[in-house]
Amino acid sequence: MAPLISLQDLTKTYTVGEVAVHALRGVSLDIDAGEFTSIVGPSGSGKSTCMHILGCLDRPTTGRYLLEGKDVSQLTRDELARVRNHKIGFVFQSFNLLPRTSALENVELPMLYTGTKVAPAERHRRARAALASVGLENRMDHFPNQLSGGQQQRVAIARALMTEPPILLADEPTGNLDSRTSVEVMEIFQRLRMERGITIILITHDHEIAEYGSRVVSFKDGHVVSDSKNETWREASRELADMPLVTA
Amino acid sequence: MELSACFSLAWLTLRRNGLRSALTLLGITIGVGAVLTMVAVGNGARASIEDQVAAAGMNVITVTAGNYKMKGEDAGGGVVDHQASLVEPWEERADDGTRLLDEPVRTRQGLGRAERTWRRVSRPAPRRVAWSPAVFYPQRGEVTFTLVGHPEDDPMEKHNHPTSRERLGDSAAGLGAAATLTRDDSKAIRDQVKGVQYVAAGVHESARVVLDDRRWFTRLHGTESDMPRIRRTWSLTHGRFFNDAESNRGEQVIVLGSVVYAKLFPDGKTDPTGVTVTIWNQPFKVVGVLASTTWTSSGNVGDDEFDAVYVPLGAVHRLLNLSKLNTITVTSKSAAETTRVSKDVTALLRARHKIAEAAPDDFVVKTQASSALGKGINPQVARAIAGNVPGLESVTLEQLSQTMERSSRTMTALLASVASVSLLVGGIGIMNVMLLSVTERTREIGIRMALGARARDVMLQFMAEAVTLSLTGGVIGVAVGMVAAGSVRQMLKWATIVSPGAVFIAVGVAAAVGIFFGLYPARQASRLDPIEALRFE
Repeated sequence: MAPLISLQDLTKTYTVGEVAVHALRGVSLDIDAGEFTSIVGPSGSGKSTCMHILGCLDRPTTGRYLLEGKDVSQLTRDELARVRNHKIGFVFQSFNLLPRTSALENVELPMLYTGTKVAPAERHRRARAALASVGLENRMDHFPNQLSGGQQQRVAIARALMTEPPILLADEPTGNLDSRTSVEVMEIFQRLRMERGITIILITHDHEIAEYGSRVVSFKDGHVVSDSKNETWREASRELADMPLVTA
Repeated sequence: MELSACFSLAWLTLRRNGLRSALTLLGITIGVGAVLTMVAVGNGARASIEDQVAAAGMNVITVTAGNYKMKGEDAGGGVVDHQASLVEPWEERADDGTRLLDEPVRTRQGLGRAERTWRRVSRPAPRRVAWSPAVFYPQRGEVTFTLVGHPEDDPMEKHNHPTSRERLGDSAAGLGAAATLTRDDSKAIRDQVKGVQYVAAGVHESARVVLDDRRWFTRLHGTESDMPRIRRTWSLTHGRFFNDAESNRGEQVIVLGSVVYAKLFPDGKTDPTGVTVTIWNQPFKVVGVLASTTWTSSGNVGDDEFDAVYVPLGAVHRLLNLSKLNTITVTSKSAAETTRVSKDVTALLRARHKIAEAAPDDFVVKTQASSALGKGINPQVARAIAGNVPGLESVTLEQLSQTMERSSRTMTALLASVASVSLLVGGIGIMNVMLLSVTERTREIGIRMALGARARDVMLQFMAEAVTLSLTGGVIGVAVGMVAAGSVRQMLKWATIVSPGAVFIAVGVAAAVGIFFGLYPARQASRLDPIEALRFE
């Protein structure tokens, strides 16, 4: 079976003033459907650039990016927007919910851009279902500033799942969360992977968080330096059971 | 993203920033409101000028049957031989009472002299109308007349003239050879001439109006229900003018002129409506009394408008066995178009009467502008002419009305420039706020793009906000303008007219301002790089 994602000799070069910055220097990486891949590396290693390209927010300078077998590396901005909407769900470090907008409306947001007409009632129904699946059925009308960090991140996950994308791209999703809520988020990711077969790509600098993935890829100086299966991945649900409910 | 979703989103967003949105649209509101008020005042001023012009009769065109200008000067162009041009059906009477008429027979070349042949035809004798000599000659033998000049020049004698007395149909009804206008002509003018406002056909007679022991010999106008709309200086002190239905059916209803009313009801207080008066031994029900609104043409004895009675044309035609008209009175919609309309009427009637190229008209078309200078015009207009025009005789009323229209156009242009300045300022305000908003919401734009919004979705969203702002401002501005126009009317007693067209244009311009000044900020927003926008703090 062809891999879901196939990066082939990607390079990315930024020019800052007169200086050319080589953020990626030839990255090749295949990710199969249903994998939980953690991408780790120090800042400046190129993992964020790689994430942007994987998320179709940016285009590589050279090389090919095959998504479901199709080359998306040279698509136009509008075509990339379409791919982002249908194929990729984003979860960010800083949640990136719209302020002064209810959780429900935030979750509905991707539905506005699917390109097909969806009745408002249907939109509400699906958004409510998505919020319920992350345990927030009682917080639908809350604004982001009325929610805790963990709750906000769960709203963001619900939003990412709205268009039922095959890929969930998480950029430092636990960076602003305490340890227990971090594990809760990891538990959601692992559950999504198990129950729905969603491919999860987790970008982090935290090796402990990376251990929840079934595969760990390390970046350094724009290269992939290690890529290994992680058979002994940490199981978030079991850890949660052992954790005290109220953290210090 | 669909357009409706865009606008509802824009509305929500603007509501969240309530105060700022309100202050932003204030510029447009004030602009639109001020413009609408000024346009309303301007329109009102123009309308009252036009009213006065119309009241002075500048847009009235009178078509009279027959043409006395036979020698060619000013009678259809070119010098024409009298003998050649006039169709004269000489009348004879057969023993059995039928009329023998010579009618021209049309030949190949039409009615030109050389080709004309005559055919003798017989026509049934007209029905006689019942006459009461007692009504007509109550003081016979008591009055003696001294005739000066031609017997027909004497106004008193005229009423007893045989043609008038006999009433033997069109050719004998004081019209004779001049019986050229028909009701079909009047309909054709109404239907075929562009710019015609009202048309009223008329037959003019003299009649004795009898009520009990009071009687008054006066002018009788057989006319149509549009007449009070043509005569702008008329007002009804009692009742109403006869309506379309009564006019069309030719009912025996009558409107009294103020002089006739005064003669028949000397106490001046009785409501005459419903009273039946007698003319030609026929009953006519009074439906109204007509008076003048201006002092220039107030009712005096002998006045053609107010020492007169008005009855439906059809009734006169039926009772007097007539079918032709004396006059057709026409108004043009715009005073400035009167000349054009009168020319069109002339051309139409010439075509309908099949008058050859060189032949003179068999009717006379007169406009007030050509004949009424100084006669019975509105005092304001009269003052305006006297005060402003050096060569008084050379200026026609029509030119005056054109001047008035020109000045109101100047006023409109002035308003339009004020409008564009205020809307420009309002638009810049919107642009300013929108640019600020784009910067402020960079992160939101980034999020939306990451979630799949295309450049045009983002653009549409910001355009929708700008247009919603300006449209809301425009709609509130319309309301403000209407209230302001209303208070100007209330407090200053100025005429103001808020036309639907002005409202439509004001709202449309507001929307256009939104589109124009929202375009640049929206473009800026749509061109943001999603990665940069997501990093924006």
